[in-house]
Amino acid sequence: MLFSASATPLVPSLCLLAAEKPVNRRPMMMRLSGGGAIGSSSSSSNFDLKTYWGTLMTEINQKLDEAIPVKYPAGIYESMRYSVLAQGAKRAPPVMCVAACELFGGDRLAAFPTACALEMVHAASLIHDDLPCMDDDPVRRGKPSNHTVYGSDIAILAGDALFPLAFQHIVSHTPPDLVPRATILRVIAEIARTVGSTGMAAGQFVDLEGGPFPPSFVQEKKFGAMAECSAVCGGLLGGATDHELETLRRYGRAVGMLYQVVDDEKKTDGAIQMAQELKDKAKKELQVFDDDDDKYSEELVVPLHTFVDYAAHRHFLLPL
Amino acid sequence: MAEYSLLAGGKRVRPLLCIAACELVGGDEATAMSTACAVEMIHTSSLVHDDLPCMDNADLRRGKPTNHKVFGEDMAVLAGDALFALAFEHMTALSSALVVSPKRKVRAVIELAKAIGTKGLVGGQVIDLCSEGLNRDDAGLERLEFIHLHKTAALLVAAAVVGAILGGGTEDEIKKLRKYARCIRLLFQVVDDILYVTKSTDKLGKSAGNDVVAGKLTYPRLISLERSRELAEKLSKEAEEQLLGFDPNKAVPLVALASYIAGRHNRS
Repeated sequence: MLFSASATPLVPSLCLLAAEKPVNRRPMMMRLSGGGAIGSSSSSSNFDLKTYWGTLMTEINQKLDEAIPVKYPAGIYESMRYSVLAQGAKRAPPVMCVAACELFGGDRLAAFPTACALEMVHAASLIHDDLPCMDDDPVRRGKPSNHTVYGSDIAILAGDALFPLAFQHIVSHTPPDLVPRATILRVIAEIARTVGSTGMAAGQFVDLEGGPFPPSFVQEKKFGAMAECSAVCGGLLGGATDHELETLRRYGRAVGMLYQVVDDEKKTDGAIQMAQELKDKAKKELQVFDDDDDKYSEELVVPLHTFVDYAAHRHFLLPL
Repeated sequence: MAEYSLLAGGKRVRPLLCIAACELVGGDEATAMSTACAVEMIHTSSLVHDDLPCMDNADLRRGKPTNHKVFGEDMAVLAGDALFALAFEHMTALSSALVVSPKRKVRAVIELAKAIGTKGLVGGQVIDLCSEGLNRDDAGLERLEFIHLHKTAALLVAAAVVGAILGGGTEDEIKKLRKYARCIRLLFQVVDDILYVTKSTDKLGKSAGNDVVAGKLTYPRLISLERSRELAEKLSKEAEEQLLGFDPNKAVPLVALASYIAGRHNRS
């Protein structure tokens, strides 16, 4: 059952991956089909999504606050905190990571440090994206962007500092009794690959350069990459098999791209068709988890469905 | 763009140090190689960003135009980001995991991460940026050492330390290598500053010790040329002391490196 556009959204101004645009606008993709099917069983209809997401957000915000205390020299820490702790950040990468971890029976304590790290990396890439020599965005999440407050030099350094802090945080805070060290290395490798020349940097490069790449390449590289990374890291931490990880990878990539296609608001038939395909693709990947009740908790697949629904419709679907 | 900077000259001191440290404690080159390369990628990445117009604003690096001069600022920012990421991807790749225990690899990751963040490279760069044009009374030896320890020494020290970690060094051995690396990096800086002052002196025909290098924070400017030379001696001795107790054959590269750095000012 669809929420109407005028209903109170689950979390005000929730915006999945890059919350720089106002969200109180009419969602464009009302016409996408298949919007009602999260699950018809009683356990998913009892799932309290609002509390799930809200609790996670609160916890992640607190951990991020603790992870970046202001030390000497204060300016750089303040710049880092300014972007990471920005109000209006919806914490989609961390929440997706925790959700994916729990889907496989993982403890969320295992996922929290990586979840925080994902947010740090996400914030770092946004800081750099906004720079005058890049997208030249004076505003981010409704506030002055980092470099307009702290200067380009400090903003570049803040981004440069957040990347290693993310890795450091994962290693120092992930309980070794919950996560083997070999898995931590895989998580770090995954995040590094996402950020690097095959992932987000590549997407931004193409965004700046233009060139012969199709729009889907940019979307995939920038937004798809982050969502994919979040889902896969969560799966790694939850003990997913390689096969399950590939499913999560495809799911995450589709959700990220779907978000961007809808965000771009191009009302062409091509865009609408692409969005529908992406939505179907993401849902299809989740089917393997939906179908096996013994292995995967029904309840815990729900959050992953809601990411798709939100990306497509900009509000959540809750069964009545 | 990343390739341009990575392969443009450079003496590869950090990777060499990493491998030498690994071998010193009983490890082998293969164990340290991917991490050694990662260290160089990180070093290059930091230089690309440091050279940007809004930072140190350098036109030349290693005798060639800086990355942003050739490819533009936007590409230089991205190239730095991508190189940094590639470094960590490279050192944590599954292929290298076969050679090194995950526990040691993870420790190496955290050591490197600390060296390049706010407690290391970035912290030093921030203070350096804030110190431009400061006069002698405001600057102080403490600030100069903070900059050098963080901006320039941190990564070099980390290179030696992670080499020792990966090679299976004991805590005591790792500690010694940390101290050795710190000494030679500071030694390099002190010697570099001495050379800078004495060269400028020769060039300008004025006596050494004059404040002809106003604007650049140097050891001779702060503590006098003579005391700088004494400091260089002290650092050189301290570096050598750390290598006592190791197999002398394995310590050869590190002894030679320290001698070379110390001897530079005598050849000026």
